[in-house]
Amino acid sequence: MALNVDRPCGTFDRNYYQAMEIFRTPLRKFLMVAFIVVMYVFAFILDDYLLSILIVFCAFSVGMTGLQIITGYAGQISLGHAAFMGVGMYTVAIFQEHLGFNFWMALPLAGLIPMLIGMLFGIPAVRIKGLYLAFASLAAHFVIVYTINNWRSVTNGTDGMYLHRPAPLLGIDFLIDQYYYILVLTVTIVMIYFAKNLTRTKLGRAFVAVRDNDIAAEVMGINIAHTKVLAFGIGCFYAGIAGAIGGGYYEYVNVEWFTLTDSIWYLGFLVVGGLGSIFGAIAGAVVWKTLDELSTLMTPLAEALLGGMAFYASAAFSLVIYSLIVIVVLVLEPRGINHRWQIIKRSYRLHPFPY
Amino acid sequence: MEDFLKSIMLGLASGGIYALVAVSYVIIYKATRIFAFSQAGMLVIGSYTLWQCLIVWSLPIWLSILISLAIGAVIALIIERTCMRPLIGQPILAPIVVTLGVMLLFRGIALLFWHGEVRGYGGSFLPLGAWEIGFLSLPKIQVYGFAICMIVIALLISFYKYTRTGLGMRVVHEDHLVAQNLGINVKRIFKYSWIFSCSVAVIGGMLLGNIQGVGLDLDANGLVAIAAVLFGGLESFGGAVIAGLAIGVIQIFAIQYLGALLPGEITMLVPFVFLLLILLIKPYGLFGLVRIERL
Repeated sequence: MALNVDRPCGTFDRNYYQAMEIFRTPLRKFLMVAFIVVMYVFAFILDDYLLSILIVFCAFSVGMTGLQIITGYAGQISLGHAAFMGVGMYTVAIFQEHLGFNFWMALPLAGLIPMLIGMLFGIPAVRIKGLYLAFASLAAHFVIVYTINNWRSVTNGTDGMYLHRPAPLLGIDFLIDQYYYILVLTVTIVMIYFAKNLTRTKLGRAFVAVRDNDIAAEVMGINIAHTKVLAFGIGCFYAGIAGAIGGGYYEYVNVEWFTLTDSIWYLGFLVVGGLGSIFGAIAGAVVWKTLDELSTLMTPLAEALLGGMAFYASAAFSLVIYSLIVIVVLVLEPRGINHRWQIIKRSYRLHPFPY
Repeated sequence: MEDFLKSIMLGLASGGIYALVAVSYVIIYKATRIFAFSQAGMLVIGSYTLWQCLIVWSLPIWLSILISLAIGAVIALIIERTCMRPLIGQPILAPIVVTLGVMLLFRGIALLFWHGEVRGYGGSFLPLGAWEIGFLSLPKIQVYGFAICMIVIALLISFYKYTRTGLGMRVVHEDHLVAQNLGINVKRIFKYSWIFSCSVAVIGGMLLGNIQGVGLDLDANGLVAIAAVLFGGLESFGGAVIAGLAIGVIQIFAIQYLGALLPGEITMLVPFVFLLLILLIKPYGLFGLVRIERL
């Protein structure tokens, strides 16, 4: 994250402690705490339907944050993010079914195994500049889908697998959606906090340096290949965790959930949300999943209007509308919603003056 | 031996179309340095528009092909003018994500208008039957298709080589700013590149629809062609042709000889495993330009 950008004139860091702070002003700290508290309170006041939406928001925010690390911070393109999310889900299912792990033991593995697989596929691609990681991750998508479809003894093929939520802990039964939501929210907050923290570490700054100018980064002594592979690995770790907490909600996983189309929406809505900020990633995930929810709500309406055509129509409309949104937003604002938000904030701050 | 030769023939036949589609990626990459994933969707649109003209409107074949090519060109103009031109000079990610969006937009449009059903051209617009040469039986559909692919590619290569616009395109490929300073209209070159590329993709879509049936799954061929582009080098027509043919042959060989070892459908797996191997061994491809950069 570029420091000092988008700050009002005259706001300086006077010491290292200030420069390293995650939340700069007391107001921001307060708002963040208030937001988190409200999110937790939602568990007890919202019904199961709204909670299911929030759980999906949380899971995809984690996944999108991972893609933000790959794409927004390290400047690489991944076309296999949905597949890695699937690897995370299947990791939990496989370790639970074949090795008798419980959810808590499988959760870190659901991050680590996609990370290893991702780094394996990333290694050939990162030695060279350009969009080669896009091609390698495209290959990863097809290899992963093929493996899941055909390694029937382990993955149950196209039939999908069941996975189980964690056993009751301290009297909290995670089979009830509102407690599972609390678990998901906690994991999400921890993951996003780590991501936010990552951006001010040596590694996070190395990511940004590689993105902005990889030759200059190399001259400064950053090992580009290591940095890119690590960025891709960390991104896949996030994707895997997102898959694990999302799959835990449905308690079922199927290979057909992770299509190339989903990976493209991941990338598209990340750019719609805004590159290079965690807020942008969350905004992208929320926009994407809100649209998903709206199109699900529209389906009965489409059925009433179109009858038997509804199946094609709703699939086609979601493709057309999502892609138009991605295209229009990118053409009008190539830096995403987050950039527009920063402009609005700035113009509010400077109000009587244009700049 | 017999099987071996048959596999090579089959592989070359499908490889010819991969080569054609690979060329359509290369045209745009050469001019604009953007990898236009949308061409995979263009295959679907091309094949469906021909079906619409030929079967639904029962137009004669020559008119149908002309209309499909014209629609392809118009779509190319629209994409170039509305989506790609505003993104010139923006970070490389934005145009790539837009082309991916366009690819899914095409898929959505095809689903909306044609319901994603697999259709046929009511027989074929190329002669049916087969030539018997010794033990080899060559289906005419595939031989003619291969010939059309090669003719189109040869025409394109000679266009780049012998015409003034083609020369301009090669200059733009070297450097946009230098080309602009030499008085070449870079925007017009971009426009021409998109039109050529989309027309080539439409032709590829027609041939694929003729052989495999018109359907949404034709875009898988466009993804396989990505492996060919990478193998040939992102900027080279000759490389794309050789690599396209090679991918076709490798795919058929793998299905023939490894099909017994690997379960399930491996048509998509093989090209992409091959792509990973290329990235490991020769990342810039056979004839790709190794750009030396400086700070």
